[in-house]
Amino acid sequence: MVTWEFPPRIVGGIARHCYGLSRALAKKGHEVHLITLDFPGAPLYEEVDGVKVYRTKVELGHPDFIVWTLIFNHFMEKRVAMVSREVDFDVIHVHDWLTAPAGISSKHYLNRPLISTMHSTEVGRAQGLHTPDSYLIDGFEWWLTYESKRIIVASYSMKREIEGHFRLPPEKIDVIPNAVDVEQYQRNVDREAIRARYMIGGHERLVLFVGRLVPQKGVEHMIRAVPMVLKEHPEAIFLIVGEGWSKSYLESLTRSLGCESRVRFLGFLPDRDLVELTISADVLVVPSSYEPFGIVALEGMAAGVPVVASNTGGLSEIIEHDRTGVLVYPGDPRSIAWGINRVLSDKEYSKYLIQNAKRRIAEIYSWDVVAEKTLKVYEAAEENPRK
Amino acid sequence: MKVRIPPIPDETYFLCMLHNIGATMPERSLSIEEIAVRTAMDPSKVEENLRKLAASNYIEARVVGGTKRYHVTLNGIRKVLSMYS
Repeated sequence: MVTWEFPPRIVGGIARHCYGLSRALAKKGHEVHLITLDFPGAPLYEEVDGVKVYRTKVELGHPDFIVWTLIFNHFMEKRVAMVSREVDFDVIHVHDWLTAPAGISSKHYLNRPLISTMHSTEVGRAQGLHTPDSYLIDGFEWWLTYESKRIIVASYSMKREIEGHFRLPPEKIDVIPNAVDVEQYQRNVDREAIRARYMIGGHERLVLFVGRLVPQKGVEHMIRAVPMVLKEHPEAIFLIVGEGWSKSYLESLTRSLGCESRVRFLGFLPDRDLVELTISADVLVVPSSYEPFGIVALEGMAAGVPVVASNTGGLSEIIEHDRTGVLVYPGDPRSIAWGINRVLSDKEYSKYLIQNAKRRIAEIYSWDVVAEKTLKVYEAAEENPRK
Repeated sequence: MKVRIPPIPDETYFLCMLHNIGATMPERSLSIEEIAVRTAMDPSKVEENLRKLAASNYIEARVVGGTKRYHVTLNGIRKVLSMYS
């Protein structure tokens, strides 16, 4: 498995996906070797629940992002080649375009089938192709889909997107939803103590956002909804967890709306703290404008928190409106405020959503199920590896 | 649905460059002059960006042999990666 993100190098959903999938495959008795990038403080080699993790040190640098990407891919290729002297790989599985060059060259020199998981696309993330770099990234993505024997996506909306944009035969694409480690969210947590840690009073209602602070995540729309929520629920307090390049813009937007006393930016939180905070929340908001899957919504559902999410992409497939969560119009602060107010105003309705969501998670979104489905894709790719 | 994209601040681009040239841990930290050469930027502009980034804890400085050297912090790395993932 080749990925640029693996804990503790956590940026978005890719790290969580690779962590969950690789551990589930190893648990089933498969030998999983995972090649990723180094991260300060993390060892260059370790075994994580049976997964052999190789962190690649990048010895050269360049200020240009694309050049840097090609450089680190070279070092990853080298690491794959070194490991392959001892290990006879059956398949190569890469995640997103960032490790496409390493995956594609490994496919050719190892003569093994390449499987790729497309977590998102440049055209979706950037809402179009507007720069030379975007065009090149789009090209890398197409190239990866072309070279891959099978392509995995996490939702039908993503399948439609890549089928249309890259003109792919539909039979080449498998839909395997993401999953969540339910046990992590079943721990007993002293909610009051956790809330006190974040200076949240007993009477206050905690509205949580977790995600990268980039436009596609729609945080701006949630912040614009804050005054409308406070009008009905002055006891609401918004905690925003995550890092991203639009953070300073969002902070200044919060100030311009006069909401800075009710909106707090917490930055990045370690996993343990994040799980505890999620369990302690009254509502989790996923206001994305573009979301191929939306693993954070699953995490909220597993944690027993009512989820208010945009009716877009994978979120529309995860959440059944009025049954397992509340779907709102993407990019519409009024609609987001309506959803949050609805959950905060009716405790019985909240409980109903939580019960249904937990049941749904247990039925469908487990890493064991994802690993089983992924293994079937590997087997299908191996049937005729030279094609 | 179109997303309105706010402009990316100059110091964020600069942080990315600092990350991509490899200044991601104390032992790989670089001086202002070294950064200026590797990024083809004016040293005064480098200094201005470093000041802004230090205030947000995205970079850290340490003095080695009387020279201030800078590297990207873990939070800074996460901010950079959010640009690309």
